[in-house]
Amino acid sequence: MTPETIMETEMIMDTETADLGIDIPESEAAVVIIGSGAGGGTVAHELATRGIRCVVLEAGPYLVADDYENDEWAAFNQMAWLDLRTTSGSWRVAKDFPNLPTWIVKAVGGSTTHWSGATPRFMAHEFKTRTTYGEVDGANLLDWPITLDDLAPYYDKAEIAIGSTHRHGRAPQPAGNNYFVLANGAERAGYRYYATGPYGTNAEPYDGRPGSIQDGFNFQGDKHRSKWSTRVREIPRAVASGHCDLRPSSQAVKITHDAAGQVDGVEYVDADGNLHKQSARVVCVAGNSIESPRLLLMSASSLHPDGLANSSGQVGRNYMRHMTGSAYATFEQPVRMYRGETMAGIIADEAKHDTSRGFAGGYYLETLALGPAFLASFIEPGEWGRPFTEKMEAYAHTAGMWIVGEDMPQTTNRVTLNTDVKDALGLPAPDVHYDDHANDTTMRSHGFAAADTIYGGVGALTVHHTPPYPSTHNLGTCRMSARPEDGVVDGWGRAHDVANLFVSDGSVMTTGGAANPTLTIVALAIRQAEFIAAELGAGRL
Amino acid sequence: MPEDKVSGEPSTTDAAQDESTGSPGLSEHQSELLLRMIRVAYPHPSFPDAPYERTAKAVQEASLTDAVLPEGLDDLDARADGDFLALDDAAATAVLEQIDTGDFFRRVHATTVVALYDDHEVWDLLGYEGSSYEKGGYLHRGFDDLDWLPRPRIEEYDGPPRVELVEGSAS
Repeated sequence: MTPETIMETEMIMDTETADLGIDIPESEAAVVIIGSGAGGGTVAHELATRGIRCVVLEAGPYLVADDYENDEWAAFNQMAWLDLRTTSGSWRVAKDFPNLPTWIVKAVGGSTTHWSGATPRFMAHEFKTRTTYGEVDGANLLDWPITLDDLAPYYDKAEIAIGSTHRHGRAPQPAGNNYFVLANGAERAGYRYYATGPYGTNAEPYDGRPGSIQDGFNFQGDKHRSKWSTRVREIPRAVASGHCDLRPSSQAVKITHDAAGQVDGVEYVDADGNLHKQSARVVCVAGNSIESPRLLLMSASSLHPDGLANSSGQVGRNYMRHMTGSAYATFEQPVRMYRGETMAGIIADEAKHDTSRGFAGGYYLETLALGPAFLASFIEPGEWGRPFTEKMEAYAHTAGMWIVGEDMPQTTNRVTLNTDVKDALGLPAPDVHYDDHANDTTMRSHGFAAADTIYGGVGALTVHHTPPYPSTHNLGTCRMSARPEDGVVDGWGRAHDVANLFVSDGSVMTTGGAANPTLTIVALAIRQAEFIAAELGAGRL
Repeated sequence: MPEDKVSGEPSTTDAAQDESTGSPGLSEHQSELLLRMIRVAYPHPSFPDAPYERTAKAVQEASLTDAVLPEGLDDLDARADGDFLALDDAAATAVLEQIDTGDFFRRVHATTVVALYDDHEVWDLLGYEGSSYEKGGYLHRGFDDLDWLPRPRIEEYDGPPRVELVEGSAS
């Protein structure tokens, strides 16, 4: 962002600025946080407001509300992470979108800019899947080193920060058209645990931000700022604390360490292509589950020959992206699913472990709406002819839902460095390999059948089963484990191998649960930051 | 609607509209083949010609520098006894079915699904209203105007809590 753009933004948005905070010298060993999304933005806020000096390296630009576009492709081209990536494996995304394995954001605020807002918590047994599900063929299940009881107080803090509806006195979102269809279908299907949340967008004014005007476009940022993101809350507050130096358009390329193996700096490339090195006393990696393991792998050294903090060999492995699918149903009467909040509708009845269904773990059913521009690309990739155009012509009479559930961690589902393909900086592109596990495909079929029942009960003419989109929930590639040989980080997100290196994003999830992950990432980050602050205060870091 | 009045076109079609008819890489006949191909592959009986014409230009813009497009279009004629344009819809569709896994078709498809359905005239035809923020969102413009189902509960269920771990399921 240019200084002129920043000034223009300040004039238009009197309540927000693209303030970058203080200047911390590159020679000062600060806490360096890589990424400003749900994990990194939260850690920066927690530490800076405690007076701990932080440098935040964000690969993308500082976009503010006035920059966001109510236009799907324009917004996608503005904020999506489009750096070259490759894919492999039998997952359908590798066929339909071979260079777009994920659908995440490269901008200040990270993928909280794009998130829809569903905030369910993990269930107690989802922290203990190896114990609860037992041995599942081909799955690398492991119990988390922490429990729901450990995280519950931080879930409270995260819900209060986000302003989750239906929690801590926050009002529910009203029913929008797409929810009318989902909820009535749910009721007739015998489901009971449906509501318009919990949901991370204000129904009424809260925390200095307005209530929703039901303007849709949650995936494109939120021009009205009713939706929580670290871009509207944690980042501006971290910067305002006077202890944070935010550096947008700064892509971390290597973490360095001293002779004893402690990390001591981060090399990054600025918008003009210049290489810098910021000294560090602590490094928190929060680049999302593709870039975080990629950075650790690119930081290999003689002391860490297989990648930084990778003595376990687990860096990049156990990549999870949730079992997903969508159902789009057409009706005689209009629906206009795109009006209003995109994901203010959730059915939780199938979020349970019940082996009578033929699979382990569970899933949620959530309202989802795309505009025609995105729907054409995603509803049935590759399809053409009259079957395709009939779907598009039914647009105004279409209701949509997303199915999201736990997928199995597999050691071979993995982020690696593709040394044959280089990104714009000349660095090896990440390759994302994923094969569906049989448990995932069985669960997806069950979810599609549930969608048929829900929409069938309210008179659907057709229900189309849409395959997974590029991944928005990227998890597990630096997983937590009690034992160093089973994972990359401990229960605080601290690397088993390097005492002053932390991972602060969804990479740390030992297993993925059924829940949309943002709330859990924020809760883990608040808890981790409290630990880091205590360790720094005690002189142990 | 005149094509130069369509607001907010994606950059690909903006660029295409600045071009004169056809593209440096295609003959007039090849341009007609492309338009016909897109019409046949993405048939919307209610759509006028203009969105298809803008889409065809976007496809040309996206494939200016190589031979895949002109060669693929010539191949359509070759598969139609020399005259693809003379085929009726069913026969033309049958020709496209022969080639729909190839690079040429996939390339036309990739641009078409973006350009045709990002066209604001098409949005109007499909009943999509586009950008809403500057109009105050849909809070007072029908976000909850669905009138053929009862107004549902928005609060969470107030009965017994959900059973998360069904008895007998734990290993």
